[in-house]
Amino acid sequence: MIRLVKRQSKLVFTLGRFMGFLKLLLHNGKSVGGLTIIAIFCVLALAPGWFTPYDSLGQNPAELGFPLAGGSAAPVWLRHMPTWLGGKPELSENMMVCQNPGCPKLVRDGGELNFTVDGSGLVINESDVDYPYTQALGFLKLAEPGSLNVTFSRGSGTFYNGSKVVIFKEFEFPYLGAPSRFYGNIELYVKGTVDAWGKLDVPVKVTVFLGLVGGKMWRLWPPPHNPAEDSRVPMGFTKDLLTGQPGPIEKPEYGSLVYDNVSKSWVNQHWITPVQTTISRIDSESNSVSNSKSDFGAPPNRPVTMVFTSLPDRYVYGVEMIFIDQKDSGKPVSTSVFIDDFGLLFFGTSWGIMGSDHHGQDLFAQLVYGTRVSLYLGVMVSVLSVAIGLIVGLSAGYLGRVVDELLMRFTDLLLVLPGLPLLIVLVAVLGATIDNLIILLGFLGWMSFARMVRSQVLSVKERPFVEAAKAVGAGKLHVIITHVLPSVMPLVYISLALSVPGAITAEASLAWLGFYDPFRMTWGRMLNMFFEANATTNWWWVLPPGLCIAAIAAAFVLLGYALDEVLNPKLRQRR
Amino acid sequence: MGLRSYILKRLAYSFVLVLLIIVLNFVIFKMMPGDPVIFMTRPFQGKLSPEEITAQQDLLRELWGIGAPLHVQLAKYMRNLLSWQFGTSIVGKTPISELMARRIPYTMLLIGSGTVFSIILGVILGVAVIQRRGTIMDSASVTTSLVLGSLPTFWLGLVFLLIFYSTLRWFPNAGAFPRSWALGWPVAWSSVSQSSPNALSIVFSFDIGQAWTLVGGYIFHLFLPVLTLTVFLFGGWLLLTRATMLDTVAEDYIVTARAKGLTERSVLYGHALKNAALPLITSAAISFGFMFSGAIITETVFTYPGLGGWIWESIRTLDYQVLMSVFYVISLCVVLANIVADILYGIIDPRIKYG
Repeated sequence: MIRLVKRQSKLVFTLGRFMGFLKLLLHNGKSVGGLTIIAIFCVLALAPGWFTPYDSLGQNPAELGFPLAGGSAAPVWLRHMPTWLGGKPELSENMMVCQNPGCPKLVRDGGELNFTVDGSGLVINESDVDYPYTQALGFLKLAEPGSLNVTFSRGSGTFYNGSKVVIFKEFEFPYLGAPSRFYGNIELYVKGTVDAWGKLDVPVKVTVFLGLVGGKMWRLWPPPHNPAEDSRVPMGFTKDLLTGQPGPIEKPEYGSLVYDNVSKSWVNQHWITPVQTTISRIDSESNSVSNSKSDFGAPPNRPVTMVFTSLPDRYVYGVEMIFIDQKDSGKPVSTSVFIDDFGLLFFGTSWGIMGSDHHGQDLFAQLVYGTRVSLYLGVMVSVLSVAIGLIVGLSAGYLGRVVDELLMRFTDLLLVLPGLPLLIVLVAVLGATIDNLIILLGFLGWMSFARMVRSQVLSVKERPFVEAAKAVGAGKLHVIITHVLPSVMPLVYISLALSVPGAITAEASLAWLGFYDPFRMTWGRMLNMFFEANATTNWWWVLPPGLCIAAIAAAFVLLGYALDEVLNPKLRQRR
Repeated sequence: MGLRSYILKRLAYSFVLVLLIIVLNFVIFKMMPGDPVIFMTRPFQGKLSPEEITAQQDLLRELWGIGAPLHVQLAKYMRNLLSWQFGTSIVGKTPISELMARRIPYTMLLIGSGTVFSIILGVILGVAVIQRRGTIMDSASVTTSLVLGSLPTFWLGLVFLLIFYSTLRWFPNAGAFPRSWALGWPVAWSSVSQSSPNALSIVFSFDIGQAWTLVGGYIFHLFLPVLTLTVFLFGGWLLLTRATMLDTVAEDYIVTARAKGLTERSVLYGHALKNAALPLITSAAISFGFMFSGAIITETVFTYPGLGGWIWESIRTLDYQVLMSVFYVISLCVVLANIVADILYGIIDPRIKYG
C-alpha cells in the first residue's frame, strides 16, 4: 500500500516537473519557433497524401513511368504573375483535345467530332464494337464502350476511287506558347471484302493530322520511316513533318504502316490487311510513333514548335481516310474502318505548384515526400549517435584508467578522420540504402558528444552523493544509472536536437553526389537531378529543397538552444 | 618537457594515426563485396574444366598478391601507400599519383583562398559585432551565421550559379581556366637564348598583358567557388571571434587601454584581438585540413578540376581505387594540419605545458 502511494506520488512529481519544463519551453520564443517548423514538417512527412496525389517520385501511381507534364515545366502560377516580377505569360498548361477519346462520337450524335465527306458510297455510324486499351495511356482511362464506324460500299461495276472522309475536332488553343509535347492515340480496326489474294478490295489510307485551321496540316501518323529501326519499311515515309520537311497531307501515299503485335515491329503491309487492329501512339518527342513506354527522350529540336506557329489560335486534330477503289472484282465490295480511342493530349510548359522535373514528374510531390526521409534519417541518426556517445562517454568517464585511455584514443582517431570523404568511400562500398546511411552517419557522429559526456561524468564522479552511494555499497551500474546519468540528461536532450541538422545535411550532400536510394526521393536527390538535368534557370526547382533543408536545420538548432537555456538555469540568468 | 620532445611526441602520435588510417583503408577494401578473381575468370566458365579454372584463379591470386596471408598483404599495402604508390586509375589507365599531382594544386588554390577570405571576413565582422554587442545587428549576424553554416554547400553553389551564371552571365560555371586556353595558353614570360662564338645571350621577355590574362583567367574561374566557400565558412569564424573576444574585452587591460585614451579601433584590434587570436590561429590550421570536405562538394558544383571533382568522377565510374587514394591523401592533410596546429600552439602560447 505504502509502495503504491509512493509510486503514485512519484508519478505526480515527475508529471509536475515535466509540465514545468514544458511551460518553460513554451515560454521560450526560440523553442516555439523551432517546434512549429518541426511540427509542420512532421505533418508533411506523416501524411504526404493530404498534400499531393502523386507518389514519392512525383509520378501518378496509376500510370507509373508516364509524365504528368512536359519536361522541366514551370509552376502554373508563373503564368499569372506580371512579367516584371518574373512572370511568364507564354507558358501553356496541359490540355486534352478530345474530351471523350474512349468513345468517339460525332456532333450529329451528341459527341464532339465533326466530319466532311468527299465522294460517294460512304456511311458513318456509331458502332457498339469497342477496342479496349491494352496498354494504359493516362487520359484514356475513362474509356467508354463504342467506336466510330466508317463504311465504304458499292455495287459491282461502279468505281468511286478517292472517296474521302475526314473526322476532326477543331479546338481553341488558348495559350500564348506552344505545348512542351503532345501525346496522341488512335486505334484502327479495318475489315472488308477481299480479293482472290486475300487483300482488301478497297484498301484505305489513313492519316492522322494536326494543324492550324486554314493553315498547314501536319501528319502525325503513320510514323516517319526510321531506316535504323526497321529496314523493311519502304522509303516514301521519310518526308514526314515531325522530322523532315513539311508537306501537305493531301499528297497521295498509297500504303500504310501497321504495327504487328506479334513480331513487335512495323510491317509494311502496303495495304492494310482485311482484318487488322492497330494501336498507335503519337509522341511529339520520338521520331516514330511510340509503342513502348521507355521511348521518352528529349529531341534535338522541338517539333511541337513547328506545328504551333500562331498562338493563340484555332487548331484541328483529325483523321483522314481515303478509300482506294481501283480493283474490279466483279462483285459488290465494302470496307469498314472502326476508329476508337481517338485522342490527343498536350503537355504544358507549366505544371502544378512547383513545376516538373526533366521527366515531367511533379516536383511538389518530391519535395513533400523528401521531408519523410530527411526527418526519419535525421532523428534516427541523432538517436543512434547520442546513444553511442552516451555509452562511450559514461564508461570512459566513470570507469577511467585503461578503458578511458582506449576509448578516448579511438575517439580522437575518429575525430581526425575527414568525415565526408570517409562517408563517400564507405557508402560507395556498402551501398546507399537509407539503413546504411543511418548506421554510418550514427557511427561517425558521436565523438564530440562522448567527450562532453566524459567531462561531465568526471566532474560528477567526485561529488559527495556519488561517494555516499559508493560507501553504501552501490554497484557501478547502479551508480551510473541512478546518480550519474541524470546529471548528463540535459546534455543528451540538447545533443539530440543539435545533431539532427548535421545528419540531414550530410545525407543531402551524399545524395547530391549521386549516392541515393533509387526508390526514395530526398531533397538532396532533387538537387542532384536539377544539376543533372542542366536546368540552370529553373529557380523553382533549386530553391525549395535547399530552403527546406535550411528551415529544418534552423528549427533543430533553435530547439537545441532553447533546451540549453531551459535546462541550464545558470545560462538563463546570464543571458 | 621541452618544445622539441613535445613536437617529436606529436609526430610519433601522428605517424601511428596515419598507420591506423591505412589499416582502415585496407579494411574497407576487404569489406567490398565480390571476389575480383572469380569475376575475372567468369568468362572461362564452361570453356575450361573446373581444375583449369581453379589453376587460373590461383595464378591470378599469386599475380596480384591477394593469395598471401592478410598481414603480409597489409604490410605491402602500407608500404605502397607510404611510398605514394596508389596503383592505376581504371579510367585512362594512368598512375593515380600522377593524376593526383595534377589536381592537388587546384584544390590547394581553392581551399587556400577560401580559408583566407572566410577568416578575414569572419574576423573583421566578428570584431565589428563585438563593438555593437547587444544590438539588433549583433543577434542578426549571429543568426545569419548559424543559418549560413547549416545550409548545404552545394545548394549555395547552385544558387550562385543560378544568379551569376544563368541569369547575369557574369562568371563561368565550370573549369579552372577559360576553355579557349586549350588552343593557346597565354605566355606571360619567355626566354630566347642565342649562342654565338663569342658569348651566350639569353633574353628574357615578360609580357604584362599576357600575365594579366593568365592571372585574370584563373581568378575569373575561381571567383564563384571561393565565394561559395567563403559564404559557407565565414559565419563560423564570426562566431568564434565573437566568443573569444567576449571574454577578452572584459579583461582589465582593455579597461586600462581605454583609460589611456586609445581609440576604440586600436583597443579592439591592437589589444583585444591580439589576445583573442590564439584559438583563432590554431583552429585556422585545423580547419585547413577539414576544408577538404567543403571543397569536395564545391568542386563538384563548379566542375573544378581538383580532388573533389575527381571524387565525383570516380563515383560515376566506380573507380574505388581513386576514391580510396583521395580519402587517404585528404586524411593525411588533416593529420598534417593537426600537427601544424599543435606546434603553432606550442610556439605561440608561452603558458602551454608540453605534455
